[in-house]
Amino acid sequence: MGTKKVSQKDFEKWVEKLIGLQKVFGVQSKDDKYEFGALLKAENLRLDYDITILPPKKYFLPSTEQLFSFGESGFNSSVDGEPFILFGVHPYDFVAIRQLDVLFSMKNNDVYYQTRRNAATIIVCDVENISENAFSGFLGFDHVEKGFDLLVTKTGSDYLVESGSDKGKKLLSLMENAVDAQAADISKRSEKWKKNRELLKKQLLKANVNELPAALGKAYDHKIWNEKAEKCFSCGSCNLVCPTCYCFDVQDDFGWDLKSGERTRSWDGCMIENFATVAGDHNFRKNKSDRYRHRYYRKGKYVPEKIGEIACVGCGRCISACVARIANPVEIFNAVAEA
Amino acid sequence: MSKPRVAIFDFACCEGCQLQIVNLEAEIVDLLSIIEPVQWREGMSDHSDDYDIAIIEGSITRPEDEERIRKIREKAKILVALGACATIGGVNKLKNHGPLEDMQKTVYSKDFSLPHLATMQTKSVADVVKVDVYIHGCPIDKKEFTYIIRCLGAGKTPNIPDYPVCVECKKAGNICRYEYNEICLGPVIRAGCGAKCPSNGFWCFGCRGFVDDPNVNAARDVMEKYGKTMKDLEEKLMLFNT
Repeated sequence: MGTKKVSQKDFEKWVEKLIGLQKVFGVQSKDDKYEFGALLKAENLRLDYDITILPPKKYFLPSTEQLFSFGESGFNSSVDGEPFILFGVHPYDFVAIRQLDVLFSMKNNDVYYQTRRNAATIIVCDVENISENAFSGFLGFDHVEKGFDLLVTKTGSDYLVESGSDKGKKLLSLMENAVDAQAADISKRSEKWKKNRELLKKQLLKANVNELPAALGKAYDHKIWNEKAEKCFSCGSCNLVCPTCYCFDVQDDFGWDLKSGERTRSWDGCMIENFATVAGDHNFRKNKSDRYRHRYYRKGKYVPEKIGEIACVGCGRCISACVARIANPVEIFNAVAEA
Repeated sequence: MSKPRVAIFDFACCEGCQLQIVNLEAEIVDLLSIIEPVQWREGMSDHSDDYDIAIIEGSITRPEDEERIRKIREKAKILVALGACATIGGVNKLKNHGPLEDMQKTVYSKDFSLPHLATMQTKSVADVVKVDVYIHGCPIDKKEFTYIIRCLGAGKTPNIPDYPVCVECKKAGNICRYEYNEICLGPVIRAGCGAKCPSNGFWCFGCRGFVDDPNVNAARDVMEKYGKTMKDLEEKLMLFNT
């Protein structure tokens, strides 16, 4: 839909303008790391980040959200549709959002997720710095060419901004002193994509991704599940930092009249001991190794069989978040592919 | 339906958990709309021994405490352990780490053998009698306390997490304390606190006790990976004696 080129100074002025226009959530520093948070000043935006602590999924599926409040006369849905701009989503995280878009509209359309998603304008930005455990380059999730509202790429001292939707186009039209990008600019971006594909290979994935569902299917009794699970705290950290994990738990809390109340949902994780506990206290994945295997089956087999794409985007957050150092999907995928 | 009659008792503790109830301030009025307190030394002057729910604060540290808690258990339909001293023994269990007499001498010096200072190894409430409901933490969390009371009022089983603090810490978007080269007890300690300490720049001290099935072997492995020893870990665990 058209790509513009703009100087750093005018880019910042544009970001400032967007902040005045809508609620903007953007990447900012937190100690020596980065996180998505409410962006109050353009100068706080850190598009040079390597990875955020939590993925931007939290803006569509918050860690805890009220679904509805209830009382004796019925219930009130708590759907939140306030428009917002999500600034600085890396391509691999955007791929994860695209996957959630599919999953949350399959069979049961999740109105909470979809309302937030429709209210969002997503500004993707190309990767400037490589995080220590990245491997999206092996998966083809190192850059994206469609689906975004806007795509921002830093080329030298300028920014290239491409619009990919009407929403994006509208925001882009607010940019001052922007010129049409020339063929030379576009080829600079292609060069960056090519480079990023190679750089985003910190963890060495040898397994063929297309053959993973079959390989996992044959690896049900592989010894690796037990070996790794023995060291598992069942803390769910790998689930909770994952951009493609979307499981949640639903709970009610009553008000003081013990009649009215609220129903909330919050993130859950299949590695947590009682994730699969149902009525009657029956836990159908009681063993750590069953839970451990299940997670990789979800990423490499079950979800891919639903959506036609591996449900791991190679961000490497799980690898860093696991205190026990057992949550590296690359290690697992390589092992089952070799078996 | 008549309101359940509630008695609050204190044993060996700092009474800070009861103070959290007093600190509910305006919400106390709501609390009183669903329960009827009949005995609460810190909060009221009336006194009755006819109660349905007994809320126990503190740990059991003297022979007469054992006798007292058994009598309370006999009367109460539901017995609630309130706060770390009651749920896991808490800081009072520090004295279990050496000969009792040494501990007595350290605290009471030459008077240690006076009969009114007699003591024994510290026990949690559950070490002595059956506990129906646990309200964890040092101190307890006011929100969790009121949630549990409402559940009891509605005849509903409260949902108390049996997963590690890491779950809530990750949800909060915190940087892992291990990245700061600290030993955090989060991976083995029961959540429910909202990861308050890690969210405010500290490691998890372990006040809510272990999850039901803590992976202690994994903890040993982790110590090695981070250049720490099991002794370092045990020292951290000692504070609340989880």
